[in-house]
Amino acid sequence: MNGNKGFAIPGLFLLFLVLASSPGWAAITVQCPGDTNGDAIWTGPEVRPENTVCIHLTAGDGFIRMADGYLQYIFGFNDFTGTPPDQIMDQAMLSQQFPAPTIKVKEGQDVYLTLSNVGMVQRPDLFDAHTVHWHGYPFQTPVFDGEPMASISINMGSSLTYYYVAPDPGTYMYHCHFEATEHMQMGMLGNLYVTPRQDDLPDGAVLGSHVHHPDPDGNGPLPGDRYVFNDGDGSTRYDVDYPIQILAFDPRFHDASMNVQPLPFAMMRDTYPMLNGRGYPDTVSLTPPTPPDENGGRVSQPMNSLITASRGQRILLRISSLSTVEFYTLSSPGIPMLVVGKDAKQLPAYFTTNSLTLGGGESYDVILDTADIAQGTYFLYTTNLHNLSNYNEDFGGMMTEIVIN
Amino acid sequence: MRSIMMQRFRWFPVMAVLLLLGASPALAAIQGVTGTTFNLTAKADHISTPDGGSIHMWGYALNNGRMQYPGPTLILNQGDTISITLTNNLPPGAGNVSILAPGQSGGTATGGVQGLITREAPPGGSVTYNFVAAEPGTYAYYSGTRPELQVEMGLIGTIIVRPAGFNEASNKTAYGHPETRYDDEFLFLLSEMDPNIHELVEAGLMNMVDNTKYFPVYWFINGRAAPDTMLDANVSFLPTQPYNCLPMTRPGGRLLMRIVNASRDLHPYHTHGNHHKVIAFDGRLLESAPGAGPDLAVADFTTSVPPGGTADGVFQWYAKAGWDIYGTDNGHDCVDGNGDDLDDSTYEYCPDHGKPFPVDLPHKNDTTFGAFWGGGPFLGTAEPLPPGEGGFNPNGAYFFMWHSHSEKELTNFDIFPGGMLTMMFVEPPSPPLINP
Repeated sequence: MNGNKGFAIPGLFLLFLVLASSPGWAAITVQCPGDTNGDAIWTGPEVRPENTVCIHLTAGDGFIRMADGYLQYIFGFNDFTGTPPDQIMDQAMLSQQFPAPTIKVKEGQDVYLTLSNVGMVQRPDLFDAHTVHWHGYPFQTPVFDGEPMASISINMGSSLTYYYVAPDPGTYMYHCHFEATEHMQMGMLGNLYVTPRQDDLPDGAVLGSHVHHPDPDGNGPLPGDRYVFNDGDGSTRYDVDYPIQILAFDPRFHDASMNVQPLPFAMMRDTYPMLNGRGYPDTVSLTPPTPPDENGGRVSQPMNSLITASRGQRILLRISSLSTVEFYTLSSPGIPMLVVGKDAKQLPAYFTTNSLTLGGGESYDVILDTADIAQGTYFLYTTNLHNLSNYNEDFGGMMTEIVIN
Repeated sequence: MRSIMMQRFRWFPVMAVLLLLGASPALAAIQGVTGTTFNLTAKADHISTPDGGSIHMWGYALNNGRMQYPGPTLILNQGDTISITLTNNLPPGAGNVSILAPGQSGGTATGGVQGLITREAPPGGSVTYNFVAAEPGTYAYYSGTRPELQVEMGLIGTIIVRPAGFNEASNKTAYGHPETRYDDEFLFLLSEMDPNIHELVEAGLMNMVDNTKYFPVYWFINGRAAPDTMLDANVSFLPTQPYNCLPMTRPGGRLLMRIVNASRDLHPYHTHGNHHKVIAFDGRLLESAPGAGPDLAVADFTTSVPPGGTADGVFQWYAKAGWDIYGTDNGHDCVDGNGDDLDDSTYEYCPDHGKPFPVDLPHKNDTTFGAFWGGGPFLGTAEPLPPGEGGFNPNGAYFFMWHSHSEKELTNFDIFPGGMLTMMFVEPPSPPLINP
């Protein structure tokens, strides 16, 4: 036995040297055409190819704070586009945000999305891989679909670059699909949408009874000259848009994950309903919740859900749900909802309603026309009224405000 | 009736040979029984769950065979007058049993005893239901006796009505209109289960069941929980769960999804790979006027069918990837004769023909492989994998997960993965290319 032990350690060391010297072994690498230093942006002599977008997302763990102050351990994504690859592990570990960063691209763009797995600092026993699943991407192939059973997932310390041609415009969503029930409940979820080519029509283009006028400074479409779809008649035009993602947490599940306990899948019950990663009143706060010390004091919930518009404007709500357990009904009792799209498809017939019910994986494009709405504060909230709560704290949860000036 | 099921089983080796020859028969036939007169028996048995569970069930058996969950799919022809005789062989104390067939026409019932909703078969007795299958579509049938208990226990099945003029070889439509044509059809009967209820019933304590405490921990498609959904139909070790759910198609093929929500919860059913066009709900085409076809159809990536309701969806896949999904080193052509940008037989998107794969995939040591990953990104090309990896995809097909997006439902009693999940795959259009 002693003799064997004597050989084992140098043997392991040699193995480590061999593996460490293999090409492509555990490296953070960004693939972005025209970018030579791997930071996913084009600076100095680097030339951006036409119509190309590069994104660098990290995947790992982090901490957030619920609206009642409760600390919550999460898995998540963060956006490190612009950070050199040799700084990624150091900066990204334990930094993930909830929801994941919003991805907004234009129809037809070439999108290179590099996903780097920075590991789980709080759970060094886990070696989970991660993926990005662009939910609803039409005409997809498994290699870039991010569904692990039919595809590949990226291990800790390494990177995988997804390629998409930004598809038909509309509201999609994205999430990790690796061990989906666990990773989605833990928070690897984000907003994603595609804007239409119609936004870039030349000045004076006629769309039904609407004439298109882009920004004369060449900065793209102005409010009122932006559209949800290539509708051909301007009927889906809007002035301001807000992605609103329905999400909810089961704190017992997150605590079990943090404390290296068995995960309660069968008993999963969400008691922190949220919009865009916060419960009311944090949904309408322009400053993020106090960052937890546990992640180094970094902001981890950067997104609010406060909807503001001037009277007369058309507000586009890009509503999606990535709830892992329940359906939720969102109601706008004060301002009628004109539903123009579902699941990133323009509806053949729009309809007006005051509420919509979404299960996980569904999306709606809704226009609130404030032409006949008096100034004031209105509410967008779940009519599953018990979800207007932050766990045991009443008057919170899945609600936000629509402020008409 | 039993002989029909035997015949279907013998078709499998024939279809496998045809696939290799490059012919294009339907990739699978929907399982069920045809005719106009049916004898069903309600009886008890057990089903198996992948976590090793065994659940006491009440279900409909064909003739006096073994009970099955879900009940036999009845495939009817539009306009036929149908007669179903139900005999009650449920365990003592179970009470009466019955059948409701929502969406059918001119229903009458004879024999048996009068129940709250319909006539019922008393213990040991029978009742006969007659109706006209007046409208094509996808429907459910289930017990109308104490349905909050009996549907949970498994007394539910599917009725499919073929449209007038339907012909398996030459006129395969769901609703008669050409826009409802399909190449392959698959059933997705969605259900959930609370095993506590089944344990109480098995112990003879039926009247102690408290539905206010309903808490499902199992989820099923066609009576099986994943991964059993992906086993063959009629496997010998699941004798009371004869149906599977393994949808498959070819590029450009039209796949008809017949979704039945046989449960009390909503389930957001999500198809990876592409949207599916929901053409009908509850056996009625989404059409603006009779004969217009499904012009009010909406393409969804996730569809939630109401409890007890049905939906029909048409799924068609091809790729618009920005790179050539068949590879760039094998000399294949993209021939677009009809100007739709797609190859006329392989449905390759010709504007992408010859475009190289756009990124380097990570080193295999840095990658976790899925069981259904073919080893590489190209359709029809199986590439080498490390030992022990993959193996479920020898033809280099494209697999996509089709599943409930309430992710909690992808579990078998606290164990992930499982539940309401299956894999749809796109077979390559011609015999597979093997990358040496």
